[in-house]
Amino acid sequence: MSLNEFWDYLVLGVVLGSIYAVIAIGYTLVYGVLQLINFAHSEVFMLGAYGGLISLTIIAPGDSPSALASVGYVALGLAAGGLFGAVTAYGLEKVAYRPLRRRGAPRLIFLITAIGASFFLYNLAGKLFGRDPLPMPDAYENKKVFTLFGADLNVTQLLLLGAAVVMMIGLDLMVNRTKLGSGIRAVSQDAEVAGLMGVDIDKVISRTFVIGGVLGGAAGYLYGTFTQVKFDMGFIPGITAFAAAVVGGIGNIRGAMLGGMMLGIVETLTVPVFGGEWRHVGAFVVLIGVLMFRPTGILGERVGRTA
Amino acid sequence: MLNKTIVKVAIPVVIGALALTGCAGDSEAGDGGSYKIAFQGPLSGDNTALGENEDKGVRLAIDQANAKGDLPFKLEYLPVDDQGLPEKATAAAQKAIDDPDVMAVVGPAFSGPTNSAAPLFGDAGLTALSASATNPTLTEQGFKTFLRGVPNDSAQGAGMATYYAKKLKAKTVYLVDDKSDYGVGLATVAEKELKAAGVKVIKKSVPAKTPDYSAAAKEVVNSKADALIYAGYYQDGAPFAKKLDEAGYKGAAISGDGTNDVKFIELAGKATEGWYLTCPCTDANVESATKEFTAEYKKKFKVNPGTYSAEAYDLANMIIQEMKKLGDKVDRQSLHQALQKATYKGLTKEFSFDDKGELKIQNVYLYQVKDGKIEYQGAIEELAGS
Repeated sequence: MSLNEFWDYLVLGVVLGSIYAVIAIGYTLVYGVLQLINFAHSEVFMLGAYGGLISLTIIAPGDSPSALASVGYVALGLAAGGLFGAVTAYGLEKVAYRPLRRRGAPRLIFLITAIGASFFLYNLAGKLFGRDPLPMPDAYENKKVFTLFGADLNVTQLLLLGAAVVMMIGLDLMVNRTKLGSGIRAVSQDAEVAGLMGVDIDKVISRTFVIGGVLGGAAGYLYGTFTQVKFDMGFIPGITAFAAAVVGGIGNIRGAMLGGMMLGIVETLTVPVFGGEWRHVGAFVVLIGVLMFRPTGILGERVGRTA
Repeated sequence: MLNKTIVKVAIPVVIGALALTGCAGDSEAGDGGSYKIAFQGPLSGDNTALGENEDKGVRLAIDQANAKGDLPFKLEYLPVDDQGLPEKATAAAQKAIDDPDVMAVVGPAFSGPTNSAAPLFGDAGLTALSASATNPTLTEQGFKTFLRGVPNDSAQGAGMATYYAKKLKAKTVYLVDDKSDYGVGLATVAEKELKAAGVKVIKKSVPAKTPDYSAAAKEVVNSKADALIYAGYYQDGAPFAKKLDEAGYKGAAISGDGTNDVKFIELAGKATEGWYLTCPCTDANVESATKEFTAEYKKKFKVNPGTYSAEAYDLANMIIQEMKKLGDKVDRQSLHQALQKATYKGLTKEFSFDDKGELKIQNVYLYQVKDGKIEYQGAIEELAGS
């Protein structure tokens, strides 16, 4: 592999990694406040993609919309994706997890509920929207924008990267600088004490789900634009993003971003070196490698200490 | 003691006999009686589109036969759904087998389900006549009643190779399979034929449901290959085509009947322009012989016939022809013997089977995506000029 080719694949890896990173944040946030792996998060992602699809189908973009209109359509797709994601995540917390929390159910029950909710949601989507993949309506013409050290970047790739970076920076600021952010950090450090200090734990948890849902749903729209929309599309990116969250240190937001990027890049580089059938092997070897030397992930656990 | 034993044996025997006569009474109703033709294929789940194409073809054939009014019996239709999954196929097959009125089955539609259901059909003596199960090994396993009304994947793989080697004179072909039974089978044959023709082959696997085809597409471009074969289904062929287009791939691209579906174009849009698609099926919307069929089909179902609709229609008609010859004496065994030896000139091709149940004439046809439509080009052998 020449240096030029390496650069090509690296760029592709960063693009894929940015998607993984945004999804991974959803896992890590919820883990932070609940110590729960929300396996249904992959369905939040999937339903976000359908949200974008539905809104763009209703307000259908023409064949080649103007630049300004394109921006509007993308914004609409992201907003609809985020909304669907948020509603799904909020509903999940309310219906699936809160009753368990009230009764003080053991951890394992939460996990099984998460898996069950995931099954339910993706089969429901299959029933509602059909099991055939659907194309995401093009909100813009996917042209090559510029060449960076020999690697071509097109609109979709730039959009993915840009949106992911904006979302990550926004989230980081929110968690570190706002009142809700300190609430989230407080609950994840010690929920009981946070409650005694006057933090409304239920509210914080519910909002954490919504934030993760917005990010996951918007990422779903982006990923749908990148490939296509299907009822089981959440599964593989979901599992990979979960692994990414663990690599970075579960519960650690910046860790999730780092882990997502890393897995995206490793997966993509595995393809030219070992072949397409080895991509997940590459990613999971990294996961195991990291956990052997740093069992709590690269940046360590905990949402409270973001870096 | 003795009495007890007799009773123990006798009761099931009597019940069994009653059950049997009950069945026989149903199916030998004679004049004015009714028989069924079943169809097995995916009528729900991921691959519904293909199953429904065939389901409608069979349905049309049966309705037409009944309407014609020269049958010595009434024909009914029994669709059984296997979702295209091997693990659901046995239950679906059993449903057809358990209905004593069912004389023959069109299907199973997919190779995997055929593999698990064919032994059951064999034991029941019920003929399974598939319009689309193309895995080459199916006729090598000694299934007693399986007949294949479609050229197998060897024919398609060889057809792709012929077209690339002889017509396009490709120098390097990049061959990608999706790791499914179908894809690997197709790719293996294509690779062998291409190498035999002196073409350089780069063979890779990109499993179905790969989350991102960007890297795989980049590899194709970097390999400098001038032609590509994708052996897989449209669900994955579409994102792959999209990423190939983005990566700036300019060479020829071909895929098989798993991708030969309008959904391929719906999903990947302009990126599919110029793609070649093969199929052992003719295009019912184009071939002049099928015009009437297409019109009837459209009238009845309000959609155009899809991939394998006409083939399923032909096979159902072949069964009806043989049943008609046998008259109301028809049973599963005699019908199977008749079908094995029969020749039927259908809309799409002439159907007759060798001892293994393989179709005797193995033609493959080429299509190409032009202006967002799958356009019929003709038989590959003729196009390649051999």
